[in-house]
Amino acid sequence: MRRGIAATALVASLALAATACGGDTTDESGAKGGKSGGELAGTVTWWDTSTVGSEDKVFKALAEGFEKEHPKVKVNYVNVPFADAQNKFKNAASSGSGAPDVIRSEVAWTPDFASLGYLAPLDGTAALDKEDDYLKQAAASTKYDGKTFGVPQVIDSVGIFYNKKLLKEAGVEVPKTLDELTEAAKVIKSKTGKAALYLRGDDAYWFLSFLYGEGGDMINTKDKSVTIDDKPAIDAFKAVKELVDSKAAVTDATNGWDNMQKAIKDGEVAMAINGPWAVTDTLAGDAFKDKANFGVAPVPAGSKTAGSPQGGHNYAVYAGSKNLDASYEFVKYMSSAKVQAEVTEKLSLLPTRASVYGEPKVAENEIVQFFKPVVETAVERPWVPEGGSLFAPLQTQYTKVLTGQATPEQAAKSTGDSYRKLLKDYK
Amino acid sequence: MPNTRRSRSPLASIGLHGTLLIATVVAVFPALWVLLTSLKPAKFATTTDFFHDTTLANYTHLLGDTKFLTWFGNSVIVAATTTVIGVFLAATTGYAVSRFRFPGMRPLMWVLLITQMFPMAILIVPLYNLFSSMGLLNQPVGLVITYLTIAVPFCAWMMKGFFDAIPVEIDESGRVDGLNPFGTFWRLILPLARPGLAVTGFYSFITAWGEVAYASAFMVGEDNMTLAGGLQTFVNQYTAQWGPMTAASVLIAVPAVIVFVLVQRHLVTGMTAGATKG
Amino acid sequence: MAVHTGPSVAKAPGKATVPGPRRPARTRESGVRRALSTHWYAWTMVAPVVIVLAIIVGYPLGRGIWLSLTDATEANVERTIGVNHIPATYEFTGLQNYVDAFGDPVFLQRLVWTIVWTVACVSITYSLGLALATLLNRQVAGRGFYRMALVVPWAIPGFVSVFSWNFLYNEKHGLLNKILVGGGIDAVPWLNDPTIAKLSVIAVNVWLGVPFMMVALLGGLQSIPGDLYEAAEMDGASAWQRFRHITLPGLRPVSTTVILLSTIWTFNMFPVIFLLTRGGPGDATEILVTQAFRMTFVDSPRNFSTSATWGVIILLLLLVFAFFYRRVLKKQGEVW
Repeated sequence: MRRGIAATALVASLALAATACGGDTTDESGAKGGKSGGELAGTVTWWDTSTVGSEDKVFKALAEGFEKEHPKVKVNYVNVPFADAQNKFKNAASSGSGAPDVIRSEVAWTPDFASLGYLAPLDGTAALDKEDDYLKQAAASTKYDGKTFGVPQVIDSVGIFYNKKLLKEAGVEVPKTLDELTEAAKVIKSKTGKAALYLRGDDAYWFLSFLYGEGGDMINTKDKSVTIDDKPAIDAFKAVKELVDSKAAVTDATNGWDNMQKAIKDGEVAMAINGPWAVTDTLAGDAFKDKANFGVAPVPAGSKTAGSPQGGHNYAVYAGSKNLDASYEFVKYMSSAKVQAEVTEKLSLLPTRASVYGEPKVAENEIVQFFKPVVETAVERPWVPEGGSLFAPLQTQYTKVLTGQATPEQAAKSTGDSYRKLLKDYK
Repeated sequence: MPNTRRSRSPLASIGLHGTLLIATVVAVFPALWVLLTSLKPAKFATTTDFFHDTTLANYTHLLGDTKFLTWFGNSVIVAATTTVIGVFLAATTGYAVSRFRFPGMRPLMWVLLITQMFPMAILIVPLYNLFSSMGLLNQPVGLVITYLTIAVPFCAWMMKGFFDAIPVEIDESGRVDGLNPFGTFWRLILPLARPGLAVTGFYSFITAWGEVAYASAFMVGEDNMTLAGGLQTFVNQYTAQWGPMTAASVLIAVPAVIVFVLVQRHLVTGMTAGATKG
Repeated sequence: MAVHTGPSVAKAPGKATVPGPRRPARTRESGVRRALSTHWYAWTMVAPVVIVLAIIVGYPLGRGIWLSLTDATEANVERTIGVNHIPATYEFTGLQNYVDAFGDPVFLQRLVWTIVWTVACVSITYSLGLALATLLNRQVAGRGFYRMALVVPWAIPGFVSVFSWNFLYNEKHGLLNKILVGGGIDAVPWLNDPTIAKLSVIAVNVWLGVPFMMVALLGGLQSIPGDLYEAAEMDGASAWQRFRHITLPGLRPVSTTVILLSTIWTFNMFPVIFLLTRGGPGDATEILVTQAFRMTFVDSPRNFSTSATWGVIILLLLLVFAFFYRRVLKKQGEVW
């Protein structure tokens, strides 16, 4: 194993040397400080972006567990708020100081960071352990330009959270299509007085399942074309507008997250679209004092199909890390089947290793049971560096459609125009 | 004073007090509502009752489960340093501009104005790189310097106006007594400028105490955060925590309000001179 | 700096009477020395501010102007990643970014709204500030209390105030709507309807700005000599005439300054818009600054050149405004 590390460090530094011309010679000792006498040493700084107050404690404890296996390594756990982390990492990584060794990189960030040269390629390093074990969809977001720049940490997608009691009172099943949802909404309204669905109107991520449902997508990476202004996308805009106009769904153009969580937790709506990351918070609500009242189902299908966006997080290693060997080993440890199983057991997040799903504790986990089928059929997002930036223009137009500032056609066209500006070689 | 009480009818009196009372309610209510909300249990945060099972749970949660006190301490260091240095720099600059006709004075006045014009939001990345090369990232010093550049130009303008209002004869008497310009400034003028200094201090303090964008860009890690930056963890995308947020807001506002109460009697005099002659 | 002055003072005497224009090198040098000797204390006093501003504002500003003339993005600027150095590969593009900006309908939309927003905020803030200052300038019981209470919005850190407004405005759970609904009125989409959201953000900014205005104008009012009013009253001037012919002219020096500052601050009021609506719903409340911020921090690769271009345009617009503002004042006999 040690030889492996040495060889891969060499590969990594060659790869770096190839992409960069020259370099300054500072910190020779630090650069090779990963090992002393064949044993890993030094400090590994990890920027975690998990939710403070619940998830962070678990990840911190797990990360520090690495010190037990490698007593000379000090793990420096830093929690960076998710909303800031992408910008902070970019600032730090580009300026050459202040960047962590390892970052929890959201799936859309990974190709972005990689394309800018901030991440170390992991092929052949210790970090990439038992690669075949990773779920195919999870591994897809870690590739850029033929190389691997991340190791999948967790995978997720969205489904319908529903309030069993409310649906039962109304006497309706969980809707499987948008038409069923509209029908059910009328019954729910008349029987319980509540709205059927909370639809987040201030975040385009919540629009994706409707887009997929009509058979559309943001862009097509295969033939390099923008598809957000095609007919399916226009249909999707129409569909969400229709849901809101018919009062089947309630929405907000600001503070969507807070309002959505409050609505579902207090039993003001029967359903909301959300992902595994929200389960803990949702279950804390009054409506789910009896946990059995909480259900998760796949998102309702549009006119073509049912589809929900695939999300998740990866571990990525900063290319400028002074302690690459220890960082690779740390990533390997954090993404090992053992640690993944513990994360799932404590936080109900979905593991990225196929083998972990076989563990009894994971297999019995209800949330995992809910989301596993959803994740398996989740639609992969375009893993291009600009992937994350596709949301901002879409979000603006999505909100405009919902608030009546733009027609579906105008919104689709305007988003398409923005995409073509962002993606210079797309048609 | 134009209208004295003797000439005011009861109706006018009611109108006057009524208007002022409404304005007072509008001015105070948002903050008061946050205070009241912070005293309710988190799950009743959105109720309309003024009081609902009054509890300090939000505060104990905040003080116990987060590094609130560390952030608080960091903020105090940053804000206090900014205030002290800011007041000093604004006073010297303001005095120089007020008393001396020196080459570069007019451009300097323009520069002070221009610094208010360039959108600071766009400066974050170049400043980050600058601080990175100077090793000032994640250091209170970096934040202090940044806040000084925001606060000092306006304060210097204000101090200039204030010094303009102090008779030049005082400077001259100092010179007659054999004091050099610094001595005159320090021993004679500064003590007279106390109201102006109070306002300047207040402005610098508020600037440093409440700033979010730079604090969250330049500082990383829970231990180094200022209050504003640390609070970001409460507005994290995946947590809706109105209860603790309101408690945190109250705790942040309290020191600012204390500073305000200390200087408020100087506010009108201090600002007037500054703005009149600015 | 003070060190230089000793010798130059010693060598300079006597020459002070010959302020020749354009002299050979030797004389110019002694001119410099003379300037140093007369002005060294002034320069010393302003030096710390000048140095700090030159580094912290001057450098990024200079760089911003340079970047606005290039096609720099995050992907082609110079980067240092650990021991590796990636050199800059962006190119000089002249004024292309400026041409693009002025041809961009988005830019023009933002510009129009930014101007509307600034004019609305400043005029309302000024009017309210003046009204309250006038009321407070009378002898009224509890004046100290009113004055203190009315300044509260200024004393509270901005992001806390904005948070509290956000909390009040919340369409479903905010107090404002709960009161309205309780009174049988439909809930108002304070931040969710494009037009209402515009009014809402203006309201918050006015709320934040009134105390500063009020305090400054109150000071201005107090500096107007009372005998002017008495004389006017003797001549039988009405309250309105007194206000029009004594108060307003008396307030001019204060007003010109606070209006200028307030305009500059409002034009670039990032936190209020960003924390309340993030520019939404859609892009209804996006002003130039928040849009420029979006280009630096939301788009990827970060578009440094375009956001710098917008920054420079904002600066130029405000400079032009300040310049003409001053010209107009000068024509009217104001010294500034």
